[in-house]
Amino acid sequence: MSSEPLRPAWSQSFSPEALQIVMTSGPIAHINPEWAWGGSTGAGVRVAIIDSGVEADHPALGGMVRGGVIVNYDEQEPNKVRIEPEEQPVDIFGHGTACAGIIHSLAPEAELYSIRVLGRDLKGRAVQFAGGLRWALENQIQVINLSLSTNREEYYALFHQLTDDAYFKNATLVSAVNNYPVPSYPSLYSSVISVAAHEGKDPFTFFYNPSPPVEFGAPGIDVKVAWIDKGYTTSTGNSFAAPHISGIVALIRAKHPTLTPFQIKTVLFACASNTQAG
Amino acid sequence: MNQEGVESESAIVNQLKRLLLAIEVSGRAILPGTNDQLLQSIVDAAARIFGATAASLALVEKDGQNLVFRVATTVPGVESVVGMRVPIDRGIVGYVAMTGQPIAISNVREDARFNQDFARSTGYMPQSILAMPLISNDRVIGVMEVLDKINAPTFGLMDMELLAIFAQQAAIAIDQSQHFDQLGRAVLLGLQTLASQEPGQYGHLLGALQDSQGYSEQDQEILELADLFYDIRMLGEAERRMLLQVTSAFRDYCRSRPGQFGFGRI
Repeated sequence: MSSEPLRPAWSQSFSPEALQIVMTSGPIAHINPEWAWGGSTGAGVRVAIIDSGVEADHPALGGMVRGGVIVNYDEQEPNKVRIEPEEQPVDIFGHGTACAGIIHSLAPEAELYSIRVLGRDLKGRAVQFAGGLRWALENQIQVINLSLSTNREEYYALFHQLTDDAYFKNATLVSAVNNYPVPSYPSLYSSVISVAAHEGKDPFTFFYNPSPPVEFGAPGIDVKVAWIDKGYTTSTGNSFAAPHISGIVALIRAKHPTLTPFQIKTVLFACASNTQAG
Repeated sequence: MNQEGVESESAIVNQLKRLLLAIEVSGRAILPGTNDQLLQSIVDAAARIFGATAASLALVEKDGQNLVFRVATTVPGVESVVGMRVPIDRGIVGYVAMTGQPIAISNVREDARFNQDFARSTGYMPQSILAMPLISNDRVIGVMEVLDKINAPTFGLMDMELLAIFAQQAAIAIDQSQHFDQLGRAVLLGLQTLASQEPGQYGHLLGALQDSQGYSEQDQEILELADLFYDIRMLGEAERRMLLQVTSAFRDYCRSRPGQFGFGRI
C-alpha cells in the first residue's frame, strides 16, 4: 500500500507534491495582490451566501448582514419556489454562518445577504439552489458564495443558464466542489470560480490549478468557523474553501468595480501563490 | 371467449396474485435481514479501518421528516442508537442529509449544532465526527458517521474520500434491500410489461393484473405479519426460537378448538 496520503481527487492538485508552479507573462505578470486588493475592505460590495441561512447577530459577522430571504420549495409556484423575505436572518444549522464568517474576516466591510435554501423537503434541493441564485441575480448581488451543490444531471441546463445570466449581470459565482469526485453543479461551469480545499492555514494563500474544472484551492481543513448560537467550531470540507475566495473576490470588486467575472478570475490567477512572473 | 376460458383465466390470475403475495411476503420476511447484516458489516469495517471508536448508519424515513439509526457498532457500556429517531433539521446527521454534503468536525462537544440531548441520552459524547451522505439515484437516503478517530484529533479530507467509498457500498445495499422489500410489486410490473407486448393474447390477463394492484385488507395483514416476523427475527436467536414456539403452540391450540376464533366455522 502506498504511504502517500489519500486526498479527494479535486483537492489532489493542491497537495504539496502535486502543486505546479505556473508562469505568467505579459501584462498579467504585473498584477499582484497589492494592486488587486491592497487597502480594500470590500466596502459597498454585496455578497450573498446561498446556504442554511446566516445568523445575523453573530459577533463574527460584525453587524454586516443587510438582509436575506428564505427560498421554499413549492410545486404550485412558477419556478417551484416561494421566496420569503427575512429581515433578521437566522441559520438552521450553522454552515451558512461559517461561510459568512470567513467572508467577513477577509472583507470586513462587504455587505452580507443570506439566501436560505435548505428545508425539510429534500427533493426540492436543486430547485431551491436555482431559486436562490435567481433571487441573487435579480437583486444586484455582486458576489455569490455557493458552498452547496447538486449532482442531478437533469439540472445541468438550468444551472448553465443561471451561471450565464450571472456572467452577463456581472455577478461572480464562487462555488465549492463536492468533497468527492462526482460531477457537482453549478461548480463545473467555466464562468464559475470553482474551489477545493488545500492544507494551508493562511487565509490569503490560494493556489491556481492549470487543469480545470477546479481552478482554485483555498484553506478548508480544520478551519475554525463561526456556528449557530454565537458559537464556533472546527470543521473540514471544500465548503470552507469557497468563502475564502469569495472574500478575496469581494475585496477585488470593491477596489476594481468594473472587472467582469473572467477578468476577476485572471486577477486571481495572477495573484495565486503558485504563479510566477516569467 | 367462452365461459370455460374466462374461468380458466381467472384461475390463472388468482394463482398469479397468490404467487405475487408469496414473493412479497418472503421478500419482507427474509431478504432485508441479509442486507442489515451487510450494513452492519460495512459499519463495523468502517470503524476498524478508520480506527474509530464508533460508527453508525441512519436512514431517511419515507416521509423525509426523520432519520432512524439502522445499524451501529457496539460501544461497551453505551446504549445502542439503533432504532433512535432524529428530526432531519437537527444535528450533524440532519445537516448532512439535508445538504448531501459530507462534513468533518473536530470539537463536537463545543458545537452547538450537535444534538447534545441525543448524545447524553446514549451516554456517549464524541470529540470528532465525520458524516457522509448515502446517495442513491441523486437522492440522499441516509447518513453514515464515524466517531472519534483513535490516535488523531480529527478526520481529514482523505478520510472523507475513504468514507465516501463505504457510503457508496452501503447505499447500494440499501437500494437492493428496498427492491426486495417490494419484490412482489417488481414481479407484477415485469408481468405487466410482458403481457402488454402481446395485448391480443394476454389482454384479459393484463386487465386482471392491473386490477390486482394494491393489496386487499387480508393481504395487508399477511404483509404486516411478515414485517412482524422479520422484526422479531432480527432481535436475536432466542427471540426467533420463542416466536416459532409461540406461533406453533397458537396454531395447535386453534386446531384443537375449532370454532373458538373462527377456525373451522362454515
